[in-house]
Amino acid sequence: MKVRLEKVPHATLVIAEGRLDFGAAPAFQKELEQAVTAAHAAGGQVKALIVDCAALDYVSSAGLRSFLQAARASQRAGVVFALSTLQPAVREVFDLSGFSRMIPIHADRTAALARISSAKSPDGQ
Amino acid sequence: MGNERRLAVKSEAAQLAVLTAFLKEFWSTAALPAEESLPFELALEEVFMNVVMHGAPAGAARVEVALHLDGGSLAMSIADDGPAFDPLSLPAPDVTAGLYERRIGGQGVHLVRQLMETVGYRRDGARNILTLGRQISR
Repeated sequence: MKVRLEKVPHATLVIAEGRLDFGAAPAFQKELEQAVTAAHAAGGQVKALIVDCAALDYVSSAGLRSFLQAARASQRAGVVFALSTLQPAVREVFDLSGFSRMIPIHADRTAALARISSAKSPDGQ
Repeated sequence: MGNERRLAVKSEAAQLAVLTAFLKEFWSTAALPAEESLPFELALEEVFMNVVMHGAPAGAARVEVALHLDGGSLAMSIADDGPAFDPLSLPAPDVTAGLYERRIGGQGVHLVRQLMETVGYRRDGARNILTLGRQISR
């Protein structure tokens, strides 16, 4: 699995590519948590972390766990955590597990970013 | 070679990649649609990792995976010679729980049950045998 970070105004994009399985999950979780910490440290400059899943082919329960931990860390840090562009088979895993009710999922990056810029930041600015 | 393939590995986490490669090779050899492989990849990972983490001590059990394509239906059986355990007996997780109430245990088996059309467990001599099946569009 490959992960790439991209800074855009008010958000950090995490571009995830490949297979998020038991072997890949610990490193992916660490990467997400570091991105949450960096976003928090940037104060109001970075409001959100958006994981672009367009090239994510596979997720298992171990992968779901890394998303869950990152979503919790984001909430504690006051950073919005959302996903975008899930492939249909990956989306099905999120739906069946109930994770799509816990973590916001947007149709694409543009929709995710539009949602973030229209939302208030956690400190109300 | 027909439409059946088998592979046996030791019950250690590093073998997951070997099993996944075996499944993917079966998939491309049989020219099955790539977008339908996830349920089988996931079932293989969840069941195998359950054996690795909760079955016999690491590496002590032997896990045999068999894939059998019959018309439009693919059957996968996963057998291990670890202690008797029926993963299908695990309670379903609460999929409506919130971010903090959520427990991750049992999620894998729950997904397998949902993604597969048929699931069955039997203890055959000293082996646990889990049989999973689903239609594939061809």
